[in-house]
Amino acid sequence: MVERPAFEDLYREFLGRIYAYVRSQVGTSADAEDITAQVFMNAYQAYGRFEARHTTPAAWLFRIARNATLDHFRASGRRERLRRTIQHQPVVEEDPAGQAEERIQYQALMARVAELPERQRDAISLRHSGLSFDEVGKLIGCSEDAAKMLYHRALKALKEAVQREGV
Amino acid sequence: MSERDDDLELQALQRELDDAFATTRPRRDFEDELWLRMQAARPATNRLRDAIAGLLQGIREVPAVPAAAVATLLVVILGVGLFASMHPRLGGGGAATSNYNAEQSTRGAGADMAAVAFGRLPSPVFGDGTKTSQPVAPTITGDEYFGPAQFVWSGRLTVSTASARVYRYREPSTTDADQFASALGAVLRERPEGLLGSYSAATYNLNIRPTVQRPLSSPTYYVISSASMPPVDAAGASPADVATIFLSQHSLYPDWANAVMFTTTGDPIRVVFQRQFEVAAGTPSAFLVDANGDRYGIEVDLQGNRPILVAGMLPVRMDAAEYPIVSPDVAVQTLTSARPNDSPSTPPVAQLTQAELVYVLVAAGDHSFYEPAYLFSGKVQVGGKMYTKRILVAAVDPSQRNP
Repeated sequence: MVERPAFEDLYREFLGRIYAYVRSQVGTSADAEDITAQVFMNAYQAYGRFEARHTTPAAWLFRIARNATLDHFRASGRRERLRRTIQHQPVVEEDPAGQAEERIQYQALMARVAELPERQRDAISLRHSGLSFDEVGKLIGCSEDAAKMLYHRALKALKEAVQREGV
Repeated sequence: MSERDDDLELQALQRELDDAFATTRPRRDFEDELWLRMQAARPATNRLRDAIAGLLQGIREVPAVPAAAVATLLVVILGVGLFASMHPRLGGGGAATSNYNAEQSTRGAGADMAAVAFGRLPSPVFGDGTKTSQPVAPTITGDEYFGPAQFVWSGRLTVSTASARVYRYREPSTTDADQFASALGAVLRERPEGLLGSYSAATYNLNIRPTVQRPLSSPTYYVISSASMPPVDAAGASPADVATIFLSQHSLYPDWANAVMFTTTGDPIRVVFQRQFEVAAGTPSAFLVDANGDRYGIEVDLQGNRPILVAGMLPVRMDAAEYPIVSPDVAVQTLTSARPNDSPSTPPVAQLTQAELVYVLVAAGDHSFYEPAYLFSGKVQVGGKMYTKRILVAAVDPSQRNP
């Protein structure tokens, strides 16, 4: 039988990595905090059902994080479309509340990652969050080899975006 | 562009992505705040189940110690106690015992000098388990570099004492937490995992946490304002004044020496009462710092004149005893002669120009300590940019510390 680590150990170990993953997906640190909080709230409630022999804690937590991020996009997409329809306002990307305390060194590069198509963005973010290609593939629903190919295509697309638009 | 150049550029981009993901982190307080929220949100049935499971686990984990071993241990302890009482100078492992009385030492430091010293002391353990705060992996946060480095010292520090006080406190219990809360007029709601207690008052919730080993943290209380918390009635007062008035009104103003600092921008504005410890008679006080070298004590977050969160050191009764400390020169030598941790590449050279004597928390189970340390700081160049570099070195003489 595989022993489960204490949830607090998981929390302390993965909070920063999950936040970085989420931050690479969304536009603001405030959204990243909200989603990260939701991820760990959900994980905390579900930890009793987590079985270490079926998956690694990392893959389990990143699956929750990916689902929470997709939920966020769905909800915010609906809200934003509605708001823009009503107010005829452009997309707001500023995050004044979060900028003061944000601990992010490569803001421009992370912004370029966030602009990639969804699957490419996921492949880059999950891979550089420390997951294996096997784990990345399982999370986004493809084989390990397909995840590798997707990742390398994403890397080339990112390089071109960086050369075109700078970081 | 050749295929080889293309590959090299992709590899460089991969390294940059590694750095980007390794250094993107939430703001400093987010981890503790979220943990508290999670604890507070747990259903009562879960907490009861965990408490029972914890109790059962505790029972299972108690080792079966043979009665003969217990008897031997008691004899040894009694023997040492008798020997120490006949030879008081030996009781403290060679450390100087103090002649200060309780009233003198309570002023400013909130501590009683111990009748005997505490024996050999545990060594401070910094971020990655080393005896200095030299980390293994490079990390950059804001303007600060936390990675491994080689050190060159070109500053000057004179410390006018060869010994410094070490402070010891007993780990606070749930009874201590309840008494603290009761004195504030807060009522116990529950005891979530990881907290000594969670309490309610008319305008705020109060959570009390014991010493935490990782990340290392002193026993702390958190006052979390509810929507009914009124602003402090002090039009035109500075944030420091607003925080002081609030703490005084709620019997939370510290009885220890401190310096007050506050941010001038941002929402919320943060006021920090930085705690100071008396080092020795006739010596300037020293600030308490965390493992990163940041000063702490009580933090008050203000939105306008309305306090929204207070995080402060839980008052604990402390004993103090004087121990010999190494000179700044010896500490520098420790630093400059230390080999950086295993690293594939040569670490950057940090030019250290400033140093001060500080106090750091050393968590050690039932009793923990605040021990003196040297905090060195300077600049280091990494990737073409200049960063601040700080590093802590334990100050208590190694002969007085456990290996």
